[in-house]
Amino acid sequence: MRETVLEILEELREDVDFENETKLADDRILSSLDIVSIVGKFNDEFDIEISIEDLEPENFNSVDAMVELITRVQE
Amino acid sequence: MAFTSINFLIFALAAMILYYCVPLNWRWLVLLVASYAFYLISSPKTFVFILATTIVTFFGGKQIGAYNSTYKAYMDEHKKELSSQERKAAKAANQKKKRKIVAIVLIIDFGILAVLKYFRYYLQAMGLFDTGMLLIPLGISFYTFQSAAYIIDLYRSKMDADTNIAKFALFTSFFPQIIQGPIPRHNELAKQLYEGHRFEFNNLTSGAQLFLWGFFKKLIIADRIAIPCAQIFDNYTDYSGGIVFASFVFYTIQIYADFSGGIDIARGVAKCLGINMPLNFMRPYFAESLSEFWRRWHMSLSFWCRDYIFYPIAISKFFGRLGTSLRKTLGNHVGQLFPVIVAQFATFITIGIWHGAEFKYVAYGLYNGTIIVLGLLLEPLFVKWAEKLHINRRSNGWKYFGIVRTFVIVSFGRAFPKAASFSVAVSMIISVFRPGHGPSFADAIMDIGMSDIDYMILIGACIVWFLISLYEEKYFKKNGGDGTESFREMLGNKPATLRWTILLLGFAAVLALGVYGPGYDASAFIYRGF
Repeated sequence: MRETVLEILEELREDVDFENETKLADDRILSSLDIVSIVGKFNDEFDIEISIEDLEPENFNSVDAMVELITRVQE
Repeated sequence: MAFTSINFLIFALAAMILYYCVPLNWRWLVLLVASYAFYLISSPKTFVFILATTIVTFFGGKQIGAYNSTYKAYMDEHKKELSSQERKAAKAANQKKKRKIVAIVLIIDFGILAVLKYFRYYLQAMGLFDTGMLLIPLGISFYTFQSAAYIIDLYRSKMDADTNIAKFALFTSFFPQIIQGPIPRHNELAKQLYEGHRFEFNNLTSGAQLFLWGFFKKLIIADRIAIPCAQIFDNYTDYSGGIVFASFVFYTIQIYADFSGGIDIARGVAKCLGINMPLNFMRPYFAESLSEFWRRWHMSLSFWCRDYIFYPIAISKFFGRLGTSLRKTLGNHVGQLFPVIVAQFATFITIGIWHGAEFKYVAYGLYNGTIIVLGLLLEPLFVKWAEKLHINRRSNGWKYFGIVRTFVIVSFGRAFPKAASFSVAVSMIISVFRPGHGPSFADAIMDIGMSDIDYMILIGACIVWFLISLYEEKYFKKNGGDGTESFREMLGNKPATLRWTILLLGFAAVLALGVYGPGYDASAFIYRGF
């Protein structure tokens, strides 16, 4: 799953070092438009439904945080 | 009571002394008494409205909090024995109950705002209220949006409800923020207000620096540039296009100095009390695009709109499905972006209306929304053009171009809220491109209410402001975060003599170079009117 998440992110923003960034949302590296695109792609790719309650910065700060979010929503 | 009046200085100082004199766990009570006293002194006739919003939101929140607790306790006990479908059904039933409360609270809170701020003229004309009843309550947009965020966050189960109405009353009325914001979230501010803070000398010096910096921007820059700005906006037909455009740039500087100055004064007072209020500005004129500008300008309002308007629409199933069905007729790109386009327009129309009921404010929102949406729709074309013209969109040259382009777009947009009406704003924008008439630029610029010395002071102050902002922006680009404290931190590491010299020079500059007109009061703060 991690590789797929990374692929989606790198396809969207090739200028960001997703492997090492841990404050993607807190430091405003990802804009609200990026977040919406990411949510749409995660929903399609993993057949999940990320809700408005999940749109918290801590869920989008790093690749691992996003993997954790997807896992939690899948449960 | 004006932020820049001696009365406010005495009031804030008295509140601070009292705050640190009472026992730690009573300190929130001092803040509540000070905040309500401030409100009663500043806006006595409208006190009942902030009280109504506070009471309705508190009890609505308490009920939602009770629903959240019951649901959580039930799930903790039965989660393992419930199927996925049953869990979803339980959650949906709980959401439905909460939704009713949220709807009632939002209708009442926004209803009060709508009647007093937007429909007042109609109600007055119909003779339903006398004029005394129709004063706009101090800070109504700020505390209403703050209360709405609180109730929606509870609905989204993001936090626990307040259990003490007096403490909640402090959250909605905290005196440094009530005049012109920012619009803090409950999880950003409430805990800081409720817990007592011990006196720390660093907080006092840091707060005083912010306070002084706010005065510097407000009194030396904003109030000085306001004079030529008003002169041109009021008589734009007498001037050439260059001068009219200069007035847009003047107002772009004035509104930033005025609004961010007021916010720094508010944040400075709070900091002296050991309270960190959220940022509202992050050097917006360094933005490389209009959407980036809105992530740096009036951030507490932008983020409010993002969380409660933009996200719910942009990720909604309804608009997603509508976008999918539109792909056949409008193409994949537009269909895919459709929910975002709707969300952008809804966001910017809200930002426009937030400023007032007149159409010029709606036009201001539409102007910004349209440019951002066009940017999104035309992005594939921009990429192609950049490739054809061999433009490296990551080069520094392109970034500087982006900064200048954004500043010009923002400056033109300022015509809408500042001009007397929508049609005046449009005439002014058209007149910028009209062949020259009236006095030459050089003659006119020296005859719009500012002397040579005023220009020198203004330019000097703007250079100081620019250099500090540049330092913070470079720090931000290198280290992340927001960079706003970096200059003061750097200053803090310098020898005490240098620090105090700079502080005293700043103080002397505000006293000697500030514009202090007769009858000066806080209504001069532009955002107080919103």
